[in-house]
Amino acid sequence: MIKSVFQKIWNFLDERYGVWELVEKDLLKKVPPLNWTYYFGGATLFFFQVQVISGILLLIYYRPTIEEAYASVMNITNNIPFGWLVRGFHAWGANLMIITLLLHMSRVFYQGSYKNPRELNWVVGVGLLSSALVFSFTGYLLPWTQLSYWATVVGTEIPAAVPYIGPYLKAYIRGGEEITQYTLSRFFALHVVIIPAALCGLLALHLLIVREVGISEPVSEIKKRERKQT
Amino acid sequence: MKMTEQEKTKLGWTTPFYQHILKEMILSVFLVGVLVTLSTLFPPELGDKADPFSTPAHIKPEWYFLAGYQFLKVAEKFGFLGEWAPKIIGIAGQALPVLILLAVPWLDRGPDRLPGSRKLVLLMGVLFALSAVGLAVWGHFS
Repeated sequence: MIKSVFQKIWNFLDERYGVWELVEKDLLKKVPPLNWTYYFGGATLFFFQVQVISGILLLIYYRPTIEEAYASVMNITNNIPFGWLVRGFHAWGANLMIITLLLHMSRVFYQGSYKNPRELNWVVGVGLLSSALVFSFTGYLLPWTQLSYWATVVGTEIPAAVPYIGPYLKAYIRGGEEITQYTLSRFFALHVVIIPAALCGLLALHLLIVREVGISEPVSEIKKRERKQT
Repeated sequence: MKMTEQEKTKLGWTTPFYQHILKEMILSVFLVGVLVTLSTLFPPELGDKADPFSTPAHIKPEWYFLAGYQFLKVAEKFGFLGEWAPKIIGIAGQALPVLILLAVPWLDRGPDRLPGSRKLVLLMGVLFALSAVGLAVWGHFS
C-alpha cells in the first residue's frame, strides 16, 4: 500500500521531469578515486550550511539597532534556550569555514586543479573567499561590542587610503563620517541579505562547473598511470 | 570534453559519486561534534558594549585579517618616501595578493598538473603563504 503510493509519486515525477535520469547522472556517475584532501571543499560547504542555519536562528532574536544590538546578543547568550550553542556554532563555524576554505584552496593549488578546463572555477573560488571575508567583517560589527566597533573603525580606514575616491569610499561604506546606526544598518543588510545572495550565486556556479567538467583527478592517479605506461 | 562512462572505467574509476557524498556526510557528523565541543568548552566572548568615546589599548582583528593589518603597519614605515607612500603601499598590499590569486591559472599555464614539473610555481605559492603567515604571526605578537 505505502510502497505503491511512493511508486506512484515517483512515476509521476519521473514521467514528467525525468527524475531517474537526474539521479543517474548526478549520483551514480563514476568519480576518480579521491583521497582525504578532497574533503576540504565539502567541509567548507558543510560549514557554510551551518552558518546559514545558525544565522537564521540568531536573526530571530537579534535586533539591529545600536541601542539594542548588544543587549539582544546578551539575551541570546544567557536567556534563549540553546542560544549560547547557536552563537557558538556561528562564531566557531565562521573560523572553521575559513580554515577549510584555505585548505581546499591549498589542495587545488598543489594539485594544479585550476588548469584547463577549470580556470574560471578557481576565479569563482577566489570570489567565494572574498565574499567569506566580507561576510566575516560585516558580521563582526553586529554584536556592537568594543571589539566590533573599533575593529570596524580601523577596517573602514583602509579604503580611505585609495587615491582620489578614498574619503568618499569610506563615507559610503560607513554611511557618514563616523560609525553610527547607518553603519550598523548597512552592515546588517550586507551580512544577512546582500552577501548571502551573492555568495549563493557564486556557490551555485562553483558547484555547477564541477558538475559540468567533473572532479579533477588526483595527481597520484595520473602518476600511477604514467608509471604503468613506461 | 566530457568523459563517457566507458572511458572512466578504462581509467579505473569505479566509485559512484554518491559514495563520496555519503563519506562527506559522515565527516559532517564528526564536524558537528567539533562545533559542539568548541562552543561548549570555548564559548565566544562578548566583551563590553561599544563605547565611541573610549578607545581600547589593543585592537587586533581576527586571525585571517592579521596579515593585511600588519602589512598596513609595515607600510606606515615608508613615510620617508613621501606622504603618499604609506597609503599607496598599504592599499597595494591589500589589492595585489587578491589580483595575484585571481591570475594563478594564467600564471601557471602548462597542461602538466604533476607537482614535480611545477616546482617553481609551488615554491612561489609556499613563499606567498609563508609571507602571509609570517605577517600574521608578527601582527599577533606586536
